[in-house]
Amino acid sequence: MDCSQFEELFHDLDRPGTDGFAARQSVLEHAESCSQCAQLLTQAESLDLALSALSGRETNERAPARVENLLREEFRKTHAGSARRRVRWQIAALATAAAVLLALGLSLRHYERVTAGSGNDLRDAPSLTPSISSNTGDVDSSGVDSVATEVATADNQLSDSDSASAFIPLPYADDSMSTDGGAIVRVVLSRPELASLGLPVTDMSDTDRIPADIIVSEDGAPQAIRLIAQSALD
Amino acid sequence: MEMSQKSDLADDRLLRRMLAGDEDAFTDLYRLKHPAIYRFALHMSGNAALAEDVTQEVFMALIREPGRFDPARGSLGAFLFGIARNHLRKRWEQERRLVPIAHESEELGDFVASLPSSNGSGAVPASAVDDLESLDTIGRVRRAISTLPENYREVVVLCELEEMSYEEAAVALNCPVGTVRSRLHRARAILLEKLREPRAARRVSALGK
Repeated sequence: MDCSQFEELFHDLDRPGTDGFAARQSVLEHAESCSQCAQLLTQAESLDLALSALSGRETNERAPARVENLLREEFRKTHAGSARRRVRWQIAALATAAAVLLALGLSLRHYERVTAGSGNDLRDAPSLTPSISSNTGDVDSSGVDSVATEVATADNQLSDSDSASAFIPLPYADDSMSTDGGAIVRVVLSRPELASLGLPVTDMSDTDRIPADIIVSEDGAPQAIRLIAQSALD
Repeated sequence: MEMSQKSDLADDRLLRRMLAGDEDAFTDLYRLKHPAIYRFALHMSGNAALAEDVTQEVFMALIREPGRFDPARGSLGAFLFGIARNHLRKRWEQERRLVPIAHESEELGDFVASLPSSNGSGAVPASAVDDLESLDTIGRVRRAISTLPENYREVVVLCELEEMSYEEAAVALNCPVGTVRSRLHRARAILLEKLREPRAARRVSALGK
């Protein structure tokens, strides 16, 4: 080691992790053989002692207590404000979540209604394709009574397993959609009976019976019919 | 290094509690960290009132913007020193004046007044002379530090008086580790030159005060 290397390293002899600390032994050996560097080392050690004494003497230097009080007050203010903001955010988040759930619920309900409506197409009726093309004359209320094996009086009697088509006006009806003074009756009809109401029936020999709702006017004349497809019958 | 890691963990725990609104954690953190910040500001400004203001500003910043501290970049201590340094620079730009250690003579006077008056003979005992000499040396070192250029002074305060590693000081001063090292070596060389005054002259000077 030469003097220039010594000067580069001697300040860090007591500082772990530095080159001076790593080369401490070589630095000390050089100082033993060089009076000028030995003097530098002594002065550096004196400086270290003085700095250490200054540092020790100042250990208890601190800011006045009023600074701490002021900062604690500021801390309380800041965190009280942020706590209020947190509560506001939580309320807003809950309200938003509730609104989203409500919207989802309404959408789902609307979707179920739409699917139920489209699923009740006449195509669901077993082997029937009713149309309003033919004219077959009157069917009076007594006729309806005679063909009814089960009579119901209200539309709301559709069970969960039922699905119904829209009402189809019968060919001779005056005002098929008006139920003023009339009623809706649930009946079970054979294919010839359906044909007698003016509905086109393709296979008259089939013996199955079709449930249907009929709108009957005040005077007892059938005005419109809808076929009930019962999944239980499928 | 292990001590430093333990200290960082303790700081981290206190900081987390502080962020959760725990005032006691903030108080503990303040009491733990503020003396070093205050001393740094005092050494750098030589003005107790300014050091008080800077200390207050540093912890205000920690309260209001704790998110600015990134543990990946360095210790909390280094972060706080960095804020203190920025505030000091702003103040200097505003005031354009730096008062070198104003309380030195007062402090020395207080210390001399507190010395025991020995056994009534009026003679100052040998231990008191040693204390006075020691205090004189400390005073001379402090004065010498206060006259260092700012960038040398800050490395001396951080690395020598606050015993920070070069790495921590580099984070606080926002400069490379090599710069910290070379500045410190230069600062120490300047201090050695300033302290080469003959010992006898120093003793006379100290007793004269």
